[in-house]
Amino acid sequence: MSEALVVCENLKRSYGDYAALKGVSFSIARGEFAAVMGPSGCGKSTLLALLGLLDRPTGGRYVLDGVDASSLPDSELTRLRRERIGFVFQAYNLLPRLTALENVALPMAYAGVSPDERRARALRLLARVGLEAKSGRTPLELSGGERQRVGIARSLANSPAVLLADEPTGNLDSKSSAEVMAFLKELHAEGMTVLLVTHDPAIGAAAQRVLRLKDGLLA
Amino acid sequence: MNIGEAGRTAAREIRVHKIRSLLSFSAISVGAASLLYTLAQTRGMQESVRKNLKLMGPGALTISAKEHYTSRGLSKGLTGADADAIRAEMPELYMVSPTARDWNARPRFAGKPLDGANALGVTPEWRRRNWVYRLRGRFLNETDVRETARVCLVVEPGGWFKKPFWAAFWSHVNGFDALVTRRDMLGRHLELGGHDFLVVGTLKLPPRDLDPRLEKWGNPSIIVPLTSYHAFLAGDQRQQTAVDKIQVDTGDEKTLGAVRHRIEQLLSQRHRGEKDFEVKSDLQDLEDMIREQNKDVAVALALGIVALLSGGIGILNVTLAAVYSRMREIGIRRALGAERADVLALFIAEAALLGLAGGAAGVALGAVGIEKLAKAAGNEVVELAWFHAAGMVALSAATAAAFAAYPAWLASRMDPIEAMREER
Repeated sequence: MSEALVVCENLKRSYGDYAALKGVSFSIARGEFAAVMGPSGCGKSTLLALLGLLDRPTGGRYVLDGVDASSLPDSELTRLRRERIGFVFQAYNLLPRLTALENVALPMAYAGVSPDERRARALRLLARVGLEAKSGRTPLELSGGERQRVGIARSLANSPAVLLADEPTGNLDSKSSAEVMAFLKELHAEGMTVLLVTHDPAIGAAAQRVLRLKDGLLA
Repeated sequence: MNIGEAGRTAAREIRVHKIRSLLSFSAISVGAASLLYTLAQTRGMQESVRKNLKLMGPGALTISAKEHYTSRGLSKGLTGADADAIRAEMPELYMVSPTARDWNARPRFAGKPLDGANALGVTPEWRRRNWVYRLRGRFLNETDVRETARVCLVVEPGGWFKKPFWAAFWSHVNGFDALVTRRDMLGRHLELGGHDFLVVGTLKLPPRDLDPRLEKWGNPSIIVPLTSYHAFLAGDQRQQTAVDKIQVDTGDEKTLGAVRHRIEQLLSQRHRGEKDFEVKSDLQDLEDMIREQNKDVAVALALGIVALLSGGIGILNVTLAAVYSRMREIGIRRALGAERADVLALFIAEAALLGLAGGAAGVALGAVGIEKLAKAAGNEVVELAWFHAAGMVALSAATAAAFAAYPAWLASRMDPIEAMREER
């Protein structure tokens, strides 16, 4: 087995008396394509927020790329998130007033990349998802599939170690879904570690390994 | 922290939310303009006090006959002889200038009566202080006084350098002013109290808006030797020696108290204990005037600060609204790697930009307003230095940023997950 990129040990997250995650342990190897599946309310989104360093566990340990993230201060978590994690959201989460190019370049601005370099890299990424010609359009001027492709391009902006995709095809028609999945597979083929959260078995089938969550525990 | 990104986003938000931005901008600019106006007023006041002190002399005292005083018959009242006695007792004084005035002189020129003139009897020392005139011909000399010469000077009004708008509604010019403005009176004759007086000099007043004196009213129209005044213009016997005022200048602020004391003693003796005169320090008058003006400035300053603070509260409100309408964006930016400081900078930059623009507009508005308002109020017009303008712009930006700090802090503390869930 190759080196583990993501290691979770007895990871817990409670909101008051309610335990959303009751102690989850697993690891994901570098270059692996894994899917987290389960019915709604099983704790998928909670797990993804923890893995994405947007939230802190109330128990257990989370190691990302060799760094124990469980007890890092906020600024360190932000830096780790910026450098190691790429997000693909179900609702795309593009900033509506920015063009596709500016949206893709945004994470680089926070990483301190120079404006010229940002622009060049963002154009390359947009070309990669086939949207170079639409780089000047705002999200409102793009179709759902195109928006998600911009979202994928943005997630790659700072060359992350892992891509966290939260129901990336949830809002798309079947054609666009297929396109997006093809991209994710392509990225995986190039060595990217991908963790996909979905409730759709057909989408989950694309992954090498499926982690099934139920009532806050791995089945 | 990425300042460039914060600045760009701020500029875009301002552009997109025009009405919202305009509100903040206006609030701040009105505040800045009010404060700037107050500043100008304060500076104008200081400037006019400084000029006045210079004109008036630091050791100025005014001895005047007490009004509504009923004599017990022991004193002759304030007379020219009192002035001579002061001069004799204290030859070191820079100026001892007795004056008597007839507010209704009714001079005649070429047989025609002229209204609106007053005649002032003076000695040559009169010109040593508060001299703002431009002299043509000559001033009065000791010989004129000694020989009770029938000579006089006429005072020409100065008009305006830049006429304020209200002056257009108040255009009455009296007969005397009309004559001396129209005609060169030097070498001509005026009839005063039924006697013929030769005009040996003319005194031109400075334009009213450039006159540095605090008291601009009460200019004399005709100036005659004090002795001639007593001989030809005064009415009854008592008036033929009386003076209204004796102006004294010790030449030095330090000697003011001592000189004042000696004068009071001397005059008490001469007036046989009758307190029919009063001695006042002009500096004291000026200080009273400054104290009064300071109150006005304090009120104006308070208003200016309130205006600027209201602008700040406007900014607070608008920023708070902006934070809540941009919650999702805040969450997304945080997920993409923005630090708390980046979020903070996002909102503070927008407020500071608005403050900067509002401040600049306020300075422009203030600069235009100051000239108009100051003139309408008859105040000194003062050029503001560049650093006043720059300081005001900086203060506006700082106020806006300070008031945006709290909502910006709230934004920076938002949980990114919660923020991204916000549907807007």
